[in-house]
Amino acid sequence: MGSLLEVKGLTTRVSGFTILNNLDFSIEQNELRVLLGPNGAGKTTLICMITGQFRPVAGSIHFAGRDITGWAPDEIFQAGISRKFQVPNMYETLSVHDNIMVSLQGRRRVFSTLFQRLSGQERNRIWEILEFVELADKASDAADSLSHGERQWLELGMLIASNPKLLLLDEPTTGMTEEGKRKTAELIRKIAKTHTVLLVEHDMHIVRQIGQRITVLHQGQLLAEGPIAEVMNNETVRRVYLGKGKFQ
Amino acid sequence: MIGSTAVVILIGTYPYYGSNAYVLSLLGKFLCFAIFALSIDLIWGFTGILSLGQAVYFGIGAYLVALSLKINYALTHPTRYGGKFPDFMEWNGLTELPRFMTPLISTPIAVICALLFPTLLAFLFGVITFKRHIYGVYCAVITLAESLILQDFIIEYQAYTGGFNGITDYSNYGTPAFLWFILAVVVVFFIVARALTHSRVGTVLKSIRDNDVRAEFMGYNVANYRIFVFCVSAFMAASAGALYAAWVGIVSFLDAGPVFSIEGVIWTAVGGRGTLIGPFIGTFLVKGAEFFLSGALAQWWQIIVGSLFIFVVLVLRDGIVGSVANWIRARKKKTTLHQVMEESDRTAHDQQLDWRPAGVPESDEAVR
Repeated sequence: MGSLLEVKGLTTRVSGFTILNNLDFSIEQNELRVLLGPNGAGKTTLICMITGQFRPVAGSIHFAGRDITGWAPDEIFQAGISRKFQVPNMYETLSVHDNIMVSLQGRRRVFSTLFQRLSGQERNRIWEILEFVELADKASDAADSLSHGERQWLELGMLIASNPKLLLLDEPTTGMTEEGKRKTAELIRKIAKTHTVLLVEHDMHIVRQIGQRITVLHQGQLLAEGPIAEVMNNETVRRVYLGKGKFQ
Repeated sequence: MIGSTAVVILIGTYPYYGSNAYVLSLLGKFLCFAIFALSIDLIWGFTGILSLGQAVYFGIGAYLVALSLKINYALTHPTRYGGKFPDFMEWNGLTELPRFMTPLISTPIAVICALLFPTLLAFLFGVITFKRHIYGVYCAVITLAESLILQDFIIEYQAYTGGFNGITDYSNYGTPAFLWFILAVVVVFFIVARALTHSRVGTVLKSIRDNDVRAEFMGYNVANYRIFVFCVSAFMAASAGALYAAWVGIVSFLDAGPVFSIEGVIWTAVGGRGTLIGPFIGTFLVKGAEFFLSGALAQWWQIIVGSLFIFVVLVLRDGIVGSVANWIRARKKKTTLHQVMEESDRTAHDQQLDWRPAGVPESDEAVR
């Protein structure tokens, strides 16, 4: 069995600017991988490419044995990839409960959702997830009444509800308090026990707290990959990313 | 529930206790307009597609029914020159009923066409625009153009459509029984709309309205949902048009034009988009006021309606029904001033952290 996600020779340009340059990258089943890189390294772009938001100029993306290059976002989701946006991205006027409900794994076509009703099992699942992200007591509130941190957790809950094979989390701790960040890290660790996760993260505390394997991108290319301690001690990585001030 | 039943009975029995024929004709008319507004609410209020061309579907439905009635009327009432086909065709140089219009002699076929053609057109429109990710302002502009085109088409091909004069002088269904029929259709559509918006599909539609990017990345084919609701809405608008033509007995190019489309949007906005009674209340209030006040304020009426729309957009964003509902909810919670201030502090703080508009995943810098 090959890797769950395999990216080969991925290249992309936006208005003449090469963002990803011949990138090779793969994730194994049940891995928790952290993606690091300075601003502009191409982390978010990579996620956009995997989820079908942008099309690559060259290269291929294989997921669970299938070539998903150039698929539409909803098709890629159905193949089993869910994505968390950098900014909390949910349905503002729906209640917290309904936000989870819409995200539940299941049929997505117009006529199959037309007469679909919530099964008891689904109902339980929703509450289970609400408990998990600690939003059960706000279930009937509109999502836009939540605080910033709660929104991030709600979106995490929505991702879990869709029960994907691979979760792509794009800086889920952006704009959180230290307390919130700790809680988020805790959630991600729990999620990673049962799911494969690719996490983009800037905060080194969080990375140290949950990171296992780390991939460092720099200028659209793979710079280093390996266990956390090894990568942290890598000279090149320290130069381009960690200790900008130390050199020169 | 009891309230709405009472309203239905009150309107339905009007012919038996009221004797004002003018009010009676207005009632039926308003009910048709209310269905039209409800159809706009479905796509705009619940799915977030602003259409400024909903009158296209209303107009086609109305014209097909009016043509059918007119053709049948002409069969028994020959024109001045003895022709057994609609008089406006004769004036415009036709010598007999065009072949492609002969099926309209049969009322059932005419009704089926009046409902099916607009729905099919909406489907085509949806495939062309929504599948290409055209929505928002662009969609509004395209729909506006659509209704302008239809209006010009009607004026241009007056031998087939009656042109500027529209289609008049046919025997319409102005009886109390038909008012009951219109009411029944209103009730059915209300129930359908309620079932639809409270179902799983309804929740998906609302999530598309709130955040179509998120919905797409949650595996929903957003375009298909938009096309679906657009077709349902076009079907409703077409039914409203068909009933309108049968009830009122006159159809003109204005009923398919952009002004009428936008009026529908205003009724929906005033009543409260995203609610089901909103469109009804908005239609009856604005249209009612127009009929009873425009006598006195004829020159000012358009300005008043326009200002009303601006007022609603600026102040009562959720319309009458939505604002009342918000007010009741706030009273229920009994929020103290302190809580309100705390809440607004929190949102202000959040907004500083979260300054990007929803649906924009990252700034240019983050992409690189």
